[in-house]
Amino acid sequence: MSIDWITVSAQIINFLILVWLLKRFLYRPVMQAMDRREQHIFEQLDDAQAREQKANEKMQYYLEKMNELARTRDEILAKTQEKAEQQKRQLLDEARLEVAKVREHWQNQVRLEKEELLDNLRHQVSNAVQGIARKALGDLANADLEEQIVHSFIGRLVSLDKESRALMLGSSDDSAEPARISSAFELDSGARSRLTRAIHEHLIDGIDVKYSKSPELLCGIALTVGEGQLSWNLADYLEQLNQHIENVLVSTTSPEKL
Amino acid sequence: MTISPDDIVFWRWGLFSLNATIVFTWIVMILLTLISWLVMRRLSTGTKISRWQNLLEVLVSGIRDQIREVGHQKPDKYLPFIGTLFLFIAVANILNMIPGYMAPTGSLSTTTALAICVFAAVPLYGIAYEGPFNYLRHYIKPTILMLPFNIIGEISRTIALAVRLYGNIMSGTVIVAILLSLTPYFFPVVMQLLGLLTGMIQAYIFAILAMVYIAAATSAHTESTYKKY
Repeated sequence: MSIDWITVSAQIINFLILVWLLKRFLYRPVMQAMDRREQHIFEQLDDAQAREQKANEKMQYYLEKMNELARTRDEILAKTQEKAEQQKRQLLDEARLEVAKVREHWQNQVRLEKEELLDNLRHQVSNAVQGIARKALGDLANADLEEQIVHSFIGRLVSLDKESRALMLGSSDDSAEPARISSAFELDSGARSRLTRAIHEHLIDGIDVKYSKSPELLCGIALTVGEGQLSWNLADYLEQLNQHIENVLVSTTSPEKL
Repeated sequence: MTISPDDIVFWRWGLFSLNATIVFTWIVMILLTLISWLVMRRLSTGTKISRWQNLLEVLVSGIRDQIREVGHQKPDKYLPFIGTLFLFIAVANILNMIPGYMAPTGSLSTTTALAICVFAAVPLYGIAYEGPFNYLRHYIKPTILMLPFNIIGEISRTIALAVRLYGNIMSGTVIVAILLSLTPYFFPVVMQLLGLLTGMIQAYIFAILAMVYIAAATSAHTESTYKKY
């Protein structure tokens, strides 16, 4: 256990050299590297923080925007719904109106057609009945239809009840007009004289009688004295038939059944 | 039996003799410098670093943390001195397991040299920190009567530092040598392992004590100033 002072001094120098060497090659570069890395990490952290803040701000912004969008969407939706409802109502009203119009038009048409049909029918039936009656009367009693009509009219004139007669007479006194016989067909002179005689005998004696032809009477004769009237007319029968047909038509073509 | 590497002389020139202590010290120095240079040559400042760089960074930052803990001061100023003490003693002791190698720390000359360095560093750091007048005033505190005792304490702790390291390392070598002659196979291996442990512990103790002495010289009023860091 001895101390070699020369070795000691050499070792001191060696140690100091080693301190310098390690400072030069180890401590300084390591410290610098670590500092730089630390700084780098700090920078990155700062950067990350800044980015996070930015991202948060952006998120907030978009959230607000999203809420706003949702709000606007709801508003638009509500408005649109209201508008659609309004339009629906309007369209329904229009459709109803249209339907009512169409129905009215259709009903008018039906009515017109019915009237036309009835009119046609009436004429045809009247003609047919007239023909049939004429033929039947001719065949059965060898009688003329017009003759029979005149006969029937005189019969009616004869069998007039008192009230009707008084009514006709009353109107004749007031006006002092001639009695008018209108018929659907031309009356021959025999018939005319029979009629004039019957009027003179059973209604008003000596009254002037005028004859005229009116086709709308449909095979019949009408006597007009002042405002009183007496007639025998096939149209009356036809009117009954017409009424009957009309009733049948109404019951089969009523809108409820269509 | 050769106890001290000082006794192995390779070359002599006048009073100077190139003995094993100096040669092995050079080897340790070259090894440390070479490793540092090789690793630091490809230094990375990014987050991806090589294993060797990572090892050196852990080592350096560990030493810094220890200095900070012991000295309660900013470690950068003391790092070269304390760090080199630790690294030199540690590497010199670890290499002891290589056959034919003799740790320079097993020589009292080396440990004395290191202790003298600490002995010189303590007042130097103290004066650098507080100025010469303030520093020297510590020797006459609390009274001037304490001056001789303070000086004796300073010297004795330096000697203790030197002898502790020398004794531990030398004894390890001696114990291995003795056991080799008694039980040649198993025990020397265990003792070598133990030697590695004591070698590391001694390096740690030497460096820490050096730091404690320096801190004592500079920390008369550092408690308040340290809080700045």
